Amino acid sequence: MKTRFSVYPYVWRVPLLIWQGLFFIGPLALMVAMSFWLVKNYRMEPDFVFKNWDKMMSRGYFWDAYWITLWRASLAALLATLIAFPASYTLAFKVSDTVRRWAVFFLIVPFFTSYLVRAYAWQVLLAESGPINAILGYLGLGPFTMLNTGIGAMVGYMTLVLPLVVILQTFSLAAIDRNLIEAAWNLGASARATLFKVIIPSARVGLIIGAVFAFILSYGDFVSPFYLGGSKPPTMSILIIDTTKSGQQWPRAAVVAIMMIVTLFTVAFVAVGAAYGRRK
Amino acid sequence: MRMADILSRVYVAALFVFVFLPILTSVVFSFNSDRFPTVPLGHFTTHWYETAFSRPEVWLAFKNSLIVAFCAASLSTMLGFVTAYTDFRYGFRFKTAYLALALLPPTIPLVIMGLAMLAWLGRLGLSGTLIGIIIAHTVMGAPFAMAICRMRLQQMDPALEAAAWNLGASPWRTMASVVIPFSTPALISAFCLTAAVSFDEFIVAWFVSGLNKTVPVMILEILQGNVDPQINAIGTVVFLTSITLVILAQLLILRRSAT
Amino acid sequence: MTIEDTLVTFEGVHKRYDDFVAVKALDLEIKRGEFVAIMGPSGCGKTTTLRMLAGLETPSGGKITIGGKCMNDVPAHERDTPLVWQSLALFPFLNVIENVEFGLKMRGVPDFERQPRALIWLERLGLKGFEKRRIDQLSGGQRQRVALARSLVTEPEMLLLDEPLSALDAHLVIRMQGVLTKLQKELGITFVYVTHSQSEAFAMADRVVIMGQGEISQIGAPRDIFRAPKNRFVAEFVGRNNIFAGMGQSGGDIVVAADRISVSREATEGASVQAAFLSEEFVGTAIICYFEGPDGEDLKALVTEEELEALSPEPGEQFWLSWAPEAVHELEGA
Repeated sequence: MKTRFSVYPYVWRVPLLIWQGLFFIGPLALMVAMSFWLVKNYRMEPDFVFKNWDKMMSRGYFWDAYWITLWRASLAALLATLIAFPASYTLAFKVSDTVRRWAVFFLIVPFFTSYLVRAYAWQVLLAESGPINAILGYLGLGPFTMLNTGIGAMVGYMTLVLPLVVILQTFSLAAIDRNLIEAAWNLGASARATLFKVIIPSARVGLIIGAVFAFILSYGDFVSPFYLGGSKPPTMSILIIDTTKSGQQWPRAAVVAIMMIVTLFTVAFVAVGAAYGRRK
Repeated sequence: MRMADILSRVYVAALFVFVFLPILTSVVFSFNSDRFPTVPLGHFTTHWYETAFSRPEVWLAFKNSLIVAFCAASLSTMLGFVTAYTDFRYGFRFKTAYLALALLPPTIPLVIMGLAMLAWLGRLGLSGTLIGIIIAHTVMGAPFAMAICRMRLQQMDPALEAAAWNLGASPWRTMASVVIPFSTPALISAFCLTAAVSFDEFIVAWFVSGLNKTVPVMILEILQGNVDPQINAIGTVVFLTSITLVILAQLLILRRSAT
Repeated sequence: MTIEDTLVTFEGVHKRYDDFVAVKALDLEIKRGEFVAIMGPSGCGKTTTLRMLAGLETPSGGKITIGGKCMNDVPAHERDTPLVWQSLALFPFLNVIENVEFGLKMRGVPDFERQPRALIWLERLGLKGFEKRRIDQLSGGQRQRVALARSLVTEPEMLLLDEPLSALDAHLVIRMQGVLTKLQKELGITFVYVTHSQSEAFAMADRVVIMGQGEISQIGAPRDIFRAPKNRFVAEFVGRNNIFAGMGQSGGDIVVAADRISVSREATEGASVQAAFLSEEFVGTAIICYFEGPDGEDLKALVTEEELEALSPEPGEQFWLSWAPEAVHELEGA
């Protein structure tokens, strides 16, 4: 028995393949290829040489950028997870469903609003003569130099990632079966034991996913390290921009980009593997 | 209420203050007379709005942004919908790879997307054009649109399509008279959210835009100069635009999931 | 049976999925104007059979005809086999009358003609005044009737029903059974009704098809199936039967219905077994008493209230269950 061939299913399936092939895979593949090309007289010429890789890998500033980016993104992921957790815990267990829904609603809003303008606002707020130091001054403190330091960059990262991390944590905590927690109390577990032996293990996947997103976003961000962190030392993103915008050295920028993607995916896979892998 | 409960609520409130402080700051200082923002504040003024919007290039940037946001949101929504429908309706070999391809773009850092797009669109002769920005923003917006449409389709009784065939509708008519009407709220909210994403995106746009600047790209370039409260004025307008879009999208999602 | 009387035939129809056979070698004829119930436990292939009839599944082999025409390659939307869905599958974005008009619209019936035809059916099913309501503003029973109106508005020769009452409350089920049988008699069209509920099938159908593991186990009038189940599967599936292994004339299994069993404390003449009392259950005017037989089998007897009082059984007590020779039905095979 033969079924009549129908074009119907393919009409829905094919557009994505064409579009992503043309405008997602294509650009990324070209970028990989580009990392083996040469720049002569300010023009790129297709080639297959490892010169760009040799150049970048042997530079101290590349590895400085590599490690500072990795370190800052890891720190941001850790900090975001710790800062978000008490808030998520409160939203998941201590408030009504309506309050929780509105809280999540308001946390989604900043995610879609101009990050650039928010960073600029922090620039104003954190400046040496800015409002925060002025308020601290009334209390007889400071002034503190926060702008163009690691602290400034970290404030920016938190602005970027906290709403998302709180949302993900809240969902995973709220999804825990309440009976499980009540059973723990019923069996005589203290509040602390319930938290560490029941709640955190149950919400582990959500907590790790939240941290992974915080890592991904901070790792690729260039606004916070540039406008709030003073870009010294430069991060990988700033390195890419500098290399691209000044002097047409796209192939070298491609090398940096590939290193970033490889690092990002390695960290993400390891973390997600840890989230799901060791589940009993 | 116990002390611990009060403290935990204060903590949540503090976190919200931290998240919304920059947005509020920007709005407040956009109406403040002092050029260099300090406390106490100066007096109320609309001077920065007047200065900013008396410049033709600001209007041009807004026009560019709106064109790009509209086109990118339309394309993203269509692409997201057909992909979500495919995922909802069909199982096939390599489906995991297919879905990965659909959902991967947001994990690629924007700077890298910018570089890759710059090189690729340059080869296609599209760099520096609005079409280039539209293409880039569609790639970035489609996964969001897909997620929203997929959630909506999840709520659809799988028998609904079969019921339409059973009543004499061909698959094509079923799409037009059942699946799309059912998904309409999701299509609108996907459109709003992807428009907001496009309206705020500046890194990839900065790489590929050339002389056709969008609003965020212009802000970026002003930022590289001196402190200028015009940014607050423009930024406030941008905030209002995207917040309106996001709230619209959210209301549609919340209202429809209630029924 | 003449050719004209036959509406549907299944000839050696089977349906295979990758590693699972849902329906094997099905042969079945359905007459015009007949109310047929296809009944069986979940996964027996009854819904697959119905879906093949509606063109929602393609048979892997064999032939299905409707009105003498082979339907194997006719897609669902080119058939006139409306189905009432288990989930009802009403369109939530359309109001009541738009739902009912849907089938007419898809068949190209013009606007001015659609509305009066839809209204007739709404009125007939007691939904007058509800035309503009949204589906989520209706009760379960009202939705059920909208689904019926939507399927019948095109005046088909046959209506397919897939467990349509399974989502309703018990008292509504009885009422809808009445509505359905009355409708079927009045319209004189064929109903093919899939259910796992014995009471629904037996209350409404002219003929019951019992399916198990993708095959037809027995076809017959409800009473015949109840009194004379063909094999152990049917006897077990049709409730309130007692099966006694190896007690037949030729050593086969026999079946005695629960209402043909008498219970006493002393041994009686004729066929009987001794069994331990377990529990009792009130079902309307009668009581089912449950016993455990000598080989651990579950046995049941239907008794009146007076009989129960006279016996006043305690769990674990031994009783004699006996039956008259004419109550015995022998099963085929061992």
